[in-house]
Amino acid sequence: MRHFFQNTKEMAFGMRNDPNLEAIEDGVNTISYPEQRRPYPARFRGVHRLTHREDGSPRCVACLCCSTACPAQCIHIEASEYPVGDKRRGYERFPARFVIDELRCVFCGFCVEACPCDAIRMDTGIHAPPYDSREQFIYEKDLLMGFAGRDGSQASANPRHEPGEASHPGVDRERQH
Amino acid sequence: MPTFKLDDREIPFEPGDTIIRAAHRVGIDIPHYCWHPGLSVAANCRMCLVEIMPPPGRPALMLDVLSWDAEKGEYVPQKKPKLQPACQFGAADGLVVKSGTSEHVIKARSAVQELLLLNHPVDCPICDQAGECRLQDYWLEHQAKKKRMRDEPVHKPKGVVFGPTIVYDAERCIVCTRCVRVSEELAKDPVLSVRERGNLNEIVVAPGRELDHKYTLMTEYVCPVGALTAVDFRFKARVWFLRSARTVCTGCATGCNSFTDFDPRNQKVYRYRPRENELVNKYWMCDDGMLEHRRIHEGRVLTARVRGENTTREAALEKAADFLRGKEPSSIGVVLSPEHSQEDNLALVWLAREVLGTTQVFVGGRPEGTGDDILINADKNANSAGVAEFVDLIALRSFSEFEATVAGGKLDVVVSLGSAVPHDTQAPGKVRALVSLVTHEGPWSKAGAVVLPASSWAESDGTFVNARGLAQESEKAISPQGDSRPAWRLVAELARALGRAPSWRRVEDVRGSVTKAARTSSVPAPSAGANG
Ligand code: SF4
Ligand code: SF4
Ligand code: SF4
Ligand code: SF4
Ligand code: FES
Repeated sequence: MRHFFQNTKEMAFGMRNDPNLEAIEDGVNTISYPEQRRPYPARFRGVHRLTHREDGSPRCVACLCCSTACPAQCIHIEASEYPVGDKRRGYERFPARFVIDELRCVFCGFCVEACPCDAIRMDTGIHAPPYDSREQFIYEKDLLMGFAGRDGSQASANPRHEPGEASHPGVDRERQH
Repeated sequence: MPTFKLDDREIPFEPGDTIIRAAHRVGIDIPHYCWHPGLSVAANCRMCLVEIMPPPGRPALMLDVLSWDAEKGEYVPQKKPKLQPACQFGAADGLVVKSGTSEHVIKARSAVQELLLLNHPVDCPICDQAGECRLQDYWLEHQAKKKRMRDEPVHKPKGVVFGPTIVYDAERCIVCTRCVRVSEELAKDPVLSVRERGNLNEIVVAPGRELDHKYTLMTEYVCPVGALTAVDFRFKARVWFLRSARTVCTGCATGCNSFTDFDPRNQKVYRYRPRENELVNKYWMCDDGMLEHRRIHEGRVLTARVRGENTTREAALEKAADFLRGKEPSSIGVVLSPEHSQEDNLALVWLAREVLGTTQVFVGGRPEGTGDDILINADKNANSAGVAEFVDLIALRSFSEFEATVAGGKLDVVVSLGSAVPHDTQAPGKVRALVSLVTHEGPWSKAGAVVLPASSWAESDGTFVNARGLAQESEKAISPQGDSRPAWRLVAELARALGRAPSWRRVEDVRGSVTKAARTSSVPAPSAGANG
């Protein structure tokens, strides 16, 4: 009853709960979602992003650990080899396609846990938006790489030891020990 | 039989056995890297250490060691028994051996594992061995601790091309020398060796040479880690998605037992692996055989054709039946193929005898190649001995006689099985109406007025009789590709189109008649175990 009067009063006077303060007030407090939103906790799992290497290419090495771990089987990766002449050729793979079906995803975060490279993250803070067709939930690699973390960064916290770096042994026997 | 005691079990052994071999035989796996049942003993990895209990009343051989005492915060002198490598220590009657039950052994395994991983790059996400790697498995089983070393590990060459088939990563190598021993002992070509010592050591190819003998893929196969990778397989698949069918290699008449590893999701075969069989191939396969799997997907005929035009299987079968209807039996020829299984050939023999009534039966097949005295047979057909057995049912004539009969204009219609011919010939093109059951493009598919797509060995169960007369079953791995069907089924459909339904409906029925028709010997079930 109290809420009814409170809500009616707020409606009439255009007052709204403060979404931050209401959380510490006693009892059930209603906010007017979606105009008003409660702030998400720091570790909220939002839509995925793919992190970058220094040269802007995906950190992902197409190991398929995430898609193996995914209980919803909503990650589809097509692995490919780097082209002849690339310094990473013969050394690792990259995802030619990396697709996540955000509609099938259950936001469990297993993919992030499984990734040995910190290549996939869910720290965008973006709530999965409502769309009106299934196709729109299919996020391709470019879109996933376009997102940044909530701190604005796109780099991987686990940078790759790249062929060509001073401490890197290289892919052949050129560097003798 | 003499026995020794391993933990709580009595293990029987044969004179000359080592502890690890006797345990391996009864299915107990003592952790090991460098030992392989098919290779000599190197005893260099120390993963297989066990504690040998002293004879009753005798003191154990003890070593003085310093061990860390966390309470005192210093090293204190201690005694510990001297452990022995199970791969080298000979079994003796009444010996008492402790492996998993000895705290010293458990500690030693963890220490060996830690040492091997000290300079290891832990490339697992980009390593093709991940999922079937001993370092991974044993780390979880015997160590499961974080790395303590803070220094930068020693870096060594990665992606060294050893030859046309193999790429080597020195950082991942644990220098167990299995690959060196395969080259020396199996391939009889000691082209690999170890250079440097300690954490700088690595495997090198002899100067001026490449790793290019006939068994290079066996070096990759025995490598317990991801140091050697096969050019053919690397970066293609993640092994945990693959499933295995127990198959027989169709590369030559030796009939090596193999596993066909395929991805059930896209129905694609990715590789072969040897399957242990003491009677045939022991632990090994040759490179040509290992790469035969490519032919499952390459150069295949996957749709039926009538005079070069793609059509449905039904239409093609109807056309083939048209050719055969009302023909004089002696003007009909049938060509069997030792490339195909007993079932496929038997179905065709049945068609010739019971439906077509002809006695003009010939044998085709792939041309002779070169062999060696290790595994490879010069006869490149997997089932020559099997087809030869049908001589009890019907007179068989050679391919040269087929050429002569065709040249003599005596054959109006020919039903042929198989994709290859034993030697260069114009004969298929000269047949007026050729119905060919083929798996691959080749002279028969080119000449066939009616071409029926037959499934390959990987797409159906089949029996192959090897050069030594051993009948071996090969399991179906993937579903028939495209419009193809097993050849015995195509024969049944052809017979049905001619108004004579065969009594068999499943491959087991055909096989049942094989057993009745021809001599078969059985193969003992090979024991499991991925790579020794
Ligand atoms: S959050 Fe869970 S369901 Fe969603 S993609 Fe990752 S593993 Fe799959
Ligand atoms: S995102 Fe990570 S776990 Fe998934 S394929 Fe790429 S590297 Fe592997
Ligand atoms: S060899 Fe084994 S442990 Fe080493 S990177 Fe490859 S999978 Fe990982
Ligand atoms: S390459 Fe493999 S098989 Fe050869 S020594 Fe190194 S770890 Fe052993
Ligand atoms: S297996 Fe015995 S020392 Fe390597």
